[in-house]
Amino acid sequence: MRLYRKEGNTLHILSFPTENIEKGDYLQIEDPKQNKALIAQVIDVQFANVPGILEELLRDSTSSQGVNGQDFDPLEVASHITYIQDARLLVCKIRASLENGQLSTSSTWLPSRSQSVIKKLPTTALLKLIKINHSLPIPLGETKDQSPLNIDATALDGKLNIVTGKKETGKSHLSKLLVLSLVSHGAPVVVLDLNGEYAHLGYGADGKKNEHNNRVNVLTPSENFRVALAQMKLRVVLNILIHALNLPGTSAREFRRIWQFLDERAALTLHELGEAIRNWRCNQHVRDALFSRYYALVNSGFFTDNPSEALSLEECLQRIRGGGALVVNLRDTSLVDRQIVVEYVLGKLVDLLTQQKMRAVFLFAEEAHLYLRETYWDDIVTRMRHFGVFTTFVTNQPDTIRENIYRQADNVFLFNFTNEHDLEAVSRAAKVDAETVKSIARDLPAHHCLLLGAAVKDFPMVVRVKALNVQTMGQTRLFFTEKN
Amino acid sequence: MIQQTQYTPTTSKYNFPQARLEDTALPTRFIELSIRSIKNAANHEETATLYQPYETLTEDNLNPTEEITPTFQGQTRLKLNTIPLKPSAEPTPIVAIDVSSIKIGETQTGILLAIRGAIIWKNQPHHKYHYLRIGPFPFHITEENKQEINQLFHQHNHEAISANAPSLIHMQTRITSLLERWLQTSIATQSQNTLILLDGSLTAGTPDTPTSVLAQLLETARNRLNTVLAFTKTTRLRLSGHRLTDLIQNSKPPCLLEMDGYPIATSTTIQFLGNIYVAKLTQGNCSFRLDIDRQLPHEQAVEATQRLLANDLLADSYPETLRLAHIYSTFTANEVIAIQRLLAQQHGIKTVTRPNIRRLLFGPFGKGPDSA
Repeated sequence: MRLYRKEGNTLHILSFPTENIEKGDYLQIEDPKQNKALIAQVIDVQFANVPGILEELLRDSTSSQGVNGQDFDPLEVASHITYIQDARLLVCKIRASLENGQLSTSSTWLPSRSQSVIKKLPTTALLKLIKINHSLPIPLGETKDQSPLNIDATALDGKLNIVTGKKETGKSHLSKLLVLSLVSHGAPVVVLDLNGEYAHLGYGADGKKNEHNNRVNVLTPSENFRVALAQMKLRVVLNILIHALNLPGTSAREFRRIWQFLDERAALTLHELGEAIRNWRCNQHVRDALFSRYYALVNSGFFTDNPSEALSLEECLQRIRGGGALVVNLRDTSLVDRQIVVEYVLGKLVDLLTQQKMRAVFLFAEEAHLYLRETYWDDIVTRMRHFGVFTTFVTNQPDTIRENIYRQADNVFLFNFTNEHDLEAVSRAAKVDAETVKSIARDLPAHHCLLLGAAVKDFPMVVRVKALNVQTMGQTRLFFTEKN
Repeated sequence: MIQQTQYTPTTSKYNFPQARLEDTALPTRFIELSIRSIKNAANHEETATLYQPYETLTEDNLNPTEEITPTFQGQTRLKLNTIPLKPSAEPTPIVAIDVSSIKIGETQTGILLAIRGAIIWKNQPHHKYHYLRIGPFPFHITEENKQEINQLFHQHNHEAISANAPSLIHMQTRITSLLERWLQTSIATQSQNTLILLDGSLTAGTPDTPTSVLAQLLETARNRLNTVLAFTKTTRLRLSGHRLTDLIQNSKPPCLLEMDGYPIATSTTIQFLGNIYVAKLTQGNCSFRLDIDRQLPHEQAVEATQRLLANDLLADSYPETLRLAHIYSTFTANEVIAIQRLLAQQHGIKTVTRPNIRRLLFGPFGKGPDSA
């Protein structure tokens, strides 16, 4: 390999087929005279612009189209011609500079073009250089050179993460791996499970209980997850009414009075609420508006007046404080009901965190745009983060996540995307340049993930996500398979 | 009936088409000379250095005014006759030969060049084209070994060895000519009732094309019922200042413009062994000088051209077989790099670009060969 060109932080390196360099590989460009080295990552492999190549290809095409023959080439020049024809240009991004064994992000110097020695940097060597902390390891899988890749759970602590990729590339699989790893390190995790994929995290592939079983609690709204009005705070109920059920401001003000009236009398039940709305002295339009929302609450099945049916989310969260997952199964729940449940869960989480009843919680939100209200996006990256809600968004529609979320994401776990529009959305992530994202993500095979951000100390790495011993629930139900 | 020509080699190495070749020593010596000259270049200097030329000189641009044309002495004596042609359906094999050479650099003691030949043939009108590509052979030509090359050249041509070999710069043409004549001779010897297409003219008596050699080639061809057709891509033939190739433009193709009345020699040495025609074989603006063996009857020459029309593809009046021969022998820039790599890897000859003196002296005003 020879250093050919440097433009900004992009290096062009000439390589030959025998050197077997692929996208995502790391190279060390060592300048022996300066006793320094650059660490660069290959983001694209192109054909070198060899002069005369067009003429040769045209000539070869003549051969393939009907000119047969052979070459008498006693000096075997042809092998050299082929070698040069297949010369590659590696487009690399400089990730760091190495001086006296110390890494620095500054790369203001220029290595010698004639003297530099370029070699492939094995992942193990790179990991040793970047010194990823392994006090709380999360084994993600293997890199292309079969080196195990572990990230540290602390890299997710206090961080905003995004797991994204197109359908069936392994996003949910990785999310489950992260959830279980965090749980095993004693972290509380709440999963907003849109498709019921996490419901069987406590069961192995063989359907039997696995080692995580007693740490995974699945809450299904209207089934084992119902709440009493008395358990709720006015703020949370108002959030549900205003944001999930679109209650106008005037009606919300009347509702606040009704709620306070019932609260003072310790009569916060569905039945009493209905009666109060019926008998409340107010404008008929307001009453109608309140009634329609009241019936929405009733019909959701999420609320109950029966104390024995009511679940204490606080107690559930307390139970997982030392490590556990609370899976809120939103499968088969309508859009409005989903929003009601999420408003309740998030409100409760913020309450507990504000009151210091919990230290922090890791929130995994699958396809959050389907249940998260507009204002929550900003809340999550600013306010809720400070309360201790560390969110991981999981989506196959990257444009549903706002640009500011990408900009502030600390870690991005990126799976394959082929659509330009999707790649454009993901490339807004501030942790890496757009070229890297677009070039590498486009060619990622299934179950391979490009890690960006704090977890890999801003050295993007491709990992094949390891298999999990959990019952798979995220697979698409197939018609023909079932028939067979 | 027509014999099946056997051009394909029988052994994996040294597999020249040499079924009945008279001088089989040439290819072996040619290859040995190539290897030995390169090894010498590597051994001569501690770290052999190859200076890359500013431009890679091919034989075409090395000697662009090679063509020798007859002098037409007074227009009244020269008769122009347009001969309309009709494709002759008789199946005839077509063979074309071309050789290219390229200067790939200079060393401190000489020049490095590479040579490659190509033979293209087609046995039946609707059959596929076949090729045999010979080389490339890199040569390091120095003052020391140029005499050896000269000797090889003269031995092959059965001529007395001249005392003085040409200058280094002309050795490229000399060695190219050596391989070309050898390929032409071997094809003329092996084939029968075949049209042999050559690149260039049938002018003899130049240092690179001795009369005896070309006459022998034509005779060998004739004896085996072959016809040699030599196409010159660019010609300087003029009559009263007008290019002869322009005089045929108004004629309906396919046709030949026959010239009668010009001398068969321009001096005591230079001889035209072919009758010179201007050939316009297809529609369009292109026409070429076509030399056909003078010893053949006029009718046979015309018949040969008509067989060419029926048996080969023609684009812009140029035979496809000869076009392919040119394409297959020509060096691309990549191949030059590949040869330089071979020299570096196997013989330790390192290529460096010699500083451009024009650029050094005149900066942007130094219009050297590499500044278009």
